[in-house]
Amino acid sequence: MTTVEQGDVHTGTRRSAQRTSLWGWLLALPTAWMVTFFVSSMALIVMLSFGRTTNDGYPAFAASTANYRAIWNEVYLELFLRSLLYALATVVISALIAYPVAYAIALHGGRYKNALIAAIVVPFFASYLVRMYAWKALLSDDGLVNSGLRASGISDGVTFLNTPWAVVGGLVYGFVVFMILPVYASLERLDTSLIEAGKDLYHGPVRTFVGVTLPATRAGLYGGALLVFLPALGDFVSAQLLGGASTYMMGNLVQQQFAEGQNWPLGSALTVGMMAALTVLMVAYLRATATRGGER
Amino acid sequence: MARRRRLERKPLLAVVATVVFFAWLYLPILAVALFSFNDKKSLSSFSGFSLRWYDDLVHDRALLDSLVASLTIASIATVGSLVLGTMLALGLERVTSRRGRVIGAVTLLPLVTPEIVTGVAALLLFTGIGMKLSMTTVVLAEITFSIAYVTVIVRGRLTAIALEVEEAARDLGCTPAQAVRLVILPMLVPALLGAGLLVFALVFDDFVLAFFTTGVDPQPLPVRVYSSIRFGVSPSINAIGTLMLLGSALLIVAALTLPRLFGRGQSSLDLITGGHR
Repeated sequence: MTTVEQGDVHTGTRRSAQRTSLWGWLLALPTAWMVTFFVSSMALIVMLSFGRTTNDGYPAFAASTANYRAIWNEVYLELFLRSLLYALATVVISALIAYPVAYAIALHGGRYKNALIAAIVVPFFASYLVRMYAWKALLSDDGLVNSGLRASGISDGVTFLNTPWAVVGGLVYGFVVFMILPVYASLERLDTSLIEAGKDLYHGPVRTFVGVTLPATRAGLYGGALLVFLPALGDFVSAQLLGGASTYMMGNLVQQQFAEGQNWPLGSALTVGMMAALTVLMVAYLRATATRGGER
Repeated sequence: MARRRRLERKPLLAVVATVVFFAWLYLPILAVALFSFNDKKSLSSFSGFSLRWYDDLVHDRALLDSLVASLTIASIATVGSLVLGTMLALGLERVTSRRGRVIGAVTLLPLVTPEIVTGVAALLLFTGIGMKLSMTTVVLAEITFSIAYVTVIVRGRLTAIALEVEEAARDLGCTPAQAVRLVILPMLVPALLGAGLLVFALVFDDFVLAFFTTGVDPQPLPVRVYSSIRFGVSPSINAIGTLMLLGSALLIVAALTLPRLFGRGQSSLDLITGGHR
């Protein structure tokens, strides 16, 4: 976005920069690549979602809405709702965890700020799969948590795995960083004199927080919510490794259709449905943030 | 930052939450690392130090093949996405037309598309055009996915070096191509290094795309690890997991710090957090 503005400001230089065809040539190859490998593959999904499976089990193009009608049944709708619920719970729990952490680091981290953020970022960008596995090992029946419970005599052991809690916990463990970073960024940009002003007006800390800090960092929370929701809704690793059939999400269903069930047209329709849901959310997010563009 | 007045009181709740958060963040990882050195199979009681699970790994032929496959895939994908992503960043930086904006938006789409969607889409494409699933298809899919990361990081650096430098080069008689090759590209080296390390780590660890686009043998390491996790929790996975975490942590730390060593430019961390100083 800034680049567009910059180009407009430097109208003089832009003309001379545009006199060459170099930039167009530079764009051509990556654009061709993206059209070949990304745009066309997305188009294929949409086309195949109207397709069918032939008698010998191969996917074929057609013009039927049978797949979409097949999705529209109780079993799939329940699974769809469960996915939405898990993803939503992941967003809410992530926000509840991320806000105080981001707040403490951004406003009170002092010179350790960058080190603390790096300490959060490093494990999150390192192997999602291994972290899910670590979470599973910790919660397993003979894992550290249960042996701790047993040793302390609190309980004979709790079954964590195969419960929604383990799955949502895994999703939060997997994606909470995507909430922390935007919230942290918006708190970093926060003009603390606003908080001072709140105090000068004899607002208590709670009222200052609710009335000043929270609204000023809304954009960060919205951004984080989107960034957590996107991967959480499509995830199938968490429900696969930490849950079971009763906790399966849309991602598991899609994965089954493509990897095991071999009903690619149905899987495509499910994928299109997932993308449609996400697009609606994305548009809502853009609307919500666009109207407040002047605040930043 | 200097303008900011110090807030007197530390919010106790937030500080406690942060401490608990860090414990929660690192406890599972550290437990896995610790029990990878356990001499028994138990995941709850540490009975003695042993390297037997690491020894198992070194002698697991299939696993080593997977490791080599993953390293190869990540290397090629890193080079490919760096080349394409940099071309894209340079082009988008100067082509300010409507067409440029559309291309810019389309190329960023992979960042907001769930990986499972990109994965099944790639699977459909490759089988649709009759390509046999193999390491090649994994590489192609990973490059497609990684271009956007490179483009975002390189563009962040490009806006900082601005048009003036290039103008100066042009005034001194450079052709546009020379200006890019002799002036802009060297200035991009730190950003390229950071982006390269990040992409390498992401691709090496990537499971979802690899899962959908890989053939039979040798499977990328995360795909192999996934199937062993599904069978249960075993100390030899603890050992692989520890090594994978260590490896990618080192890469990410390098990606975060190396660009900064080169000068005052933004580090990848600033780009990830959106921080400005």
